[in-house]
Amino acid sequence: MNKAIARIFLVGAILFAALIVNLTYLQVIHARALRDNPLNHRGLAQELKIDRGRILGFDGTPLVVSVRKSGFYYRRYPQGSLAAQTIGYDSVALGHSGLEQSMNAVLTGQSSLLGTQSALDRLLGRRPHGADVKLTLVPAVQKVAQQALTGKVGAIVALDPKTGAVIAIASSPTYSLATVDDDWQRLRSDPGAPLLNRATQGLYPPGSSFKVVTAAAGLDKGVVTPTTIFHDTGTYVVYGGKITNYHGEIVGTIDFTRALTYSINTVFAAVGVQIGQNDLVATMMKFGLWQVPPIELPGGSVLASGRYEKGTIVSPEAKLNPLQVAAMAIGQEQLVATPLQMALAAAAVANGGTIMKPYLVQQVIAPNETVVQSAAPQTWQTAMTPSTAATLNLMMQQVVNSGTGTAAALQGIKVAGKTGTAETSRPGVNQAWFIAFAPADDPKIAICVSIENVSVTGGEVAAPLAAQVMRAALAQPSLP
Amino acid sequence: MKRRTTELVYLIFAGVISTMAYVSVFTGRRGDIKTSSVVYGLIFVAIFLILHAVVRAFLSQADPYLLPLTALLAAIGLTEIYRIDPRYALLQGQWLVVGAVLFIATVLLVRDHERLDGYRYLIGAAGLALLLITIVFGSTVNGSRLWLRFAGFSIQPSEFAKIAIVIFLAGYLNDKKEMLSIPTSHVMGIPLPAPKYFGPLAVMWILSLLMLIFMKDFGMSLLFLAIFVALIYMATSRIVYVVAGGVMFSIGAAVAYQVVGHVQERFQIWIDPWAHAATTGYQLLQSMFAIADGGVLGAGIGRGYLLAGHRPVVPDLQTDFIFAAVANELGLIGAVGLILVYVLFCWRAFRVAIWAPDGFSKLLAAGLATAFGLQTFIIIGGVTRLIPLTGITLPFVSYGGSSITANLMLVALLLMVSHRTAVIRAGSEHERLKLAGIK
Repeated sequence: MNKAIARIFLVGAILFAALIVNLTYLQVIHARALRDNPLNHRGLAQELKIDRGRILGFDGTPLVVSVRKSGFYYRRYPQGSLAAQTIGYDSVALGHSGLEQSMNAVLTGQSSLLGTQSALDRLLGRRPHGADVKLTLVPAVQKVAQQALTGKVGAIVALDPKTGAVIAIASSPTYSLATVDDDWQRLRSDPGAPLLNRATQGLYPPGSSFKVVTAAAGLDKGVVTPTTIFHDTGTYVVYGGKITNYHGEIVGTIDFTRALTYSINTVFAAVGVQIGQNDLVATMMKFGLWQVPPIELPGGSVLASGRYEKGTIVSPEAKLNPLQVAAMAIGQEQLVATPLQMALAAAAVANGGTIMKPYLVQQVIAPNETVVQSAAPQTWQTAMTPSTAATLNLMMQQVVNSGTGTAAALQGIKVAGKTGTAETSRPGVNQAWFIAFAPADDPKIAICVSIENVSVTGGEVAAPLAAQVMRAALAQPSLP
Repeated sequence: MKRRTTELVYLIFAGVISTMAYVSVFTGRRGDIKTSSVVYGLIFVAIFLILHAVVRAFLSQADPYLLPLTALLAAIGLTEIYRIDPRYALLQGQWLVVGAVLFIATVLLVRDHERLDGYRYLIGAAGLALLLITIVFGSTVNGSRLWLRFAGFSIQPSEFAKIAIVIFLAGYLNDKKEMLSIPTSHVMGIPLPAPKYFGPLAVMWILSLLMLIFMKDFGMSLLFLAIFVALIYMATSRIVYVVAGGVMFSIGAAVAYQVVGHVQERFQIWIDPWAHAATTGYQLLQSMFAIADGGVLGAGIGRGYLLAGHRPVVPDLQTDFIFAAVANELGLIGAVGLILVYVLFCWRAFRVAIWAPDGFSKLLAAGLATAFGLQTFIIIGGVTRLIPLTGITLPFVSYGGSSITANLMLVALLLMVSHRTAVIRAGSEHERLKLAGIK
């Protein structure tokens, strides 16, 4: 009998050993896979226990705060949903987007910026406190930008050309951050794509606004000067194709400055061909095209500008025929750019040819009120020489003084700008653009306004909105 | 060291461990729980000191490790329950008092477990009646009909029936073991005992099938049949019963799988919980996620992510899924430690069986040890997806009045067997020395 009893115990011991082996599998070998399983929401839910840091405007206005409710923290938006697609949502069900995602480590207090948790804190299981993130966005300007876009589909990006600080970034249509969980199904299927950040993800043909880049290439290479004379016949024929002016205009003899002022396609097509694909593309790359602008937003929510075919970017080295080069020089030919990229193009001219790295985060403020990180402006690209930038600055002022962009003029402030009215694949439907900076002799703001699906020109629909935002920004006591 | 001194030292050791666990919960959940709850800790220590005193007075030669191991398990359970929801801990504390009273009553009223053998048919009938009452009057919780409700209490009669059936089988099989061992016929070369001795086997098989079909509980059904098969094997040393039991259970399980939707569902969740992640598989997946989160070291008691607000993230965390909470907060090290405490408990219990001088004592102790160990295996295996999940309690650790009181009675019986064994062995030693002329 004892032998049988011992055997039963042995069987039991084997069963318990199997429990231990299985437990080791679950807790060690397979643990990471289980933790990373999309059905596992433990990580996100646990973050609800952390007093997530606030997101502040440049003037210190809280844009996003955390409110404690029965041991858990929930997001509130005292200013409404400002810059919704850029700030992003914070949801257990949906995860994070925008800055809520990219700044998550700081907002949850787990970033190494905030020092390592003390051994005592860990022993006592004290949870880290989130740090506040102060943005470069100026709430008053942001509100003007959002209001300007009301009822329109498009985006506005305004930044300080000397530092790269983003003053306002708006995308329309937008959505309510506070109710994103409830609205999710509707937002996802909305044909207006309110979740899309058109400022950084909207890829639109830049049209004539791109002439600024072509002009920079031509001036830099010495192909043209502001006074170079052209003879326009209304049509530029190249490689078996032709480029015509807007509304079939024929302007006759014209210098390069006035060609920009009135946005003469034939002149810029010819200049583009003269520059050649290699040098034109080289300048485009110096403006940052074919690169993702290095802003603090999660991967995928900022897109690179450049030539796209069937939704994927084409290598800048892909050989183009002269007609294609001519069309690219006037911002067509499958060339697409984001409003952020075009704002940076304006900033390049404004800042003597240098593009500063764009940024949204001004400061990271630890729970003990100390500033643990401050924005340090740094150069991103050198797009053109300072003398080319100075020349182009004067030329762009003419656009607003007497050309296609007069609607952007501000009382007593010199404004430099360039309009754009790009044809889309649908006849009669245009993408309207206006890029600008002001004051032209000491630029404090560079801006891009881009509006989808309009039948009018950039000078008519986009320039007035740029004026509104620039006026609001320049009236601010302080800008980033 | 004298046995009772050893017991006291280990009880104090268990007390120290539980105090540390309590401090961990308290510091980890400061603000959520109240200081006054220290009192519960003191009551807990007092209960086990009283039990120790009772054992010292009436069962002085009993195994010195079983009671401290019980105290350790109960302390881990109470602390973890307290951490999940202090209200349950208070109730569990009250059940512990009830269990202690039943423990003392068992010791005082039974005194000698041999007396139970005389009432074996009565006890067996009582066990059967408890199960039948549950089948007829029971209420269904989580798809299984395991509960009897009266006067505001819910009791799980199967926990008590388990002990009653072990007592009955130990007596019955000890009586009939010779007959069951002698083959009277051969079928296809396999020696078989007389057909009439298959009667009890058939009764147990039918009983387990009834439990499966009417209680819809795979775990309890498996537990009862396995106890019976293990006991008949230990009584006869004949493997044919194990094979027959296995085959019969498999047939029963296959039939039940077709007939009982609940059994089918449990099996499918086990095979692929991911396919039912939002519905029936949710609980098991949350359990696995919580266990995986524990890692090697765990977050520490009171520090794991087990509650969303006041709601446990794994449903039934304080009862069937308590092991997931322990594995989450104590990690692999703590969870393996807990499993080893159960192994130690079973080892002591089987040791009591092996040392016992007579068949009834051996079968009683071994049967109780089997029931205890197997129940532990079924629930830990279930929440870790080693075997299909089935709702039974983790002895002494899970929240549950029936479980803790029944298992304290089980410990009392084991202590009784070990005490009498030691007394008889000492007595025979004394006789031997007397015969040899040594005083």
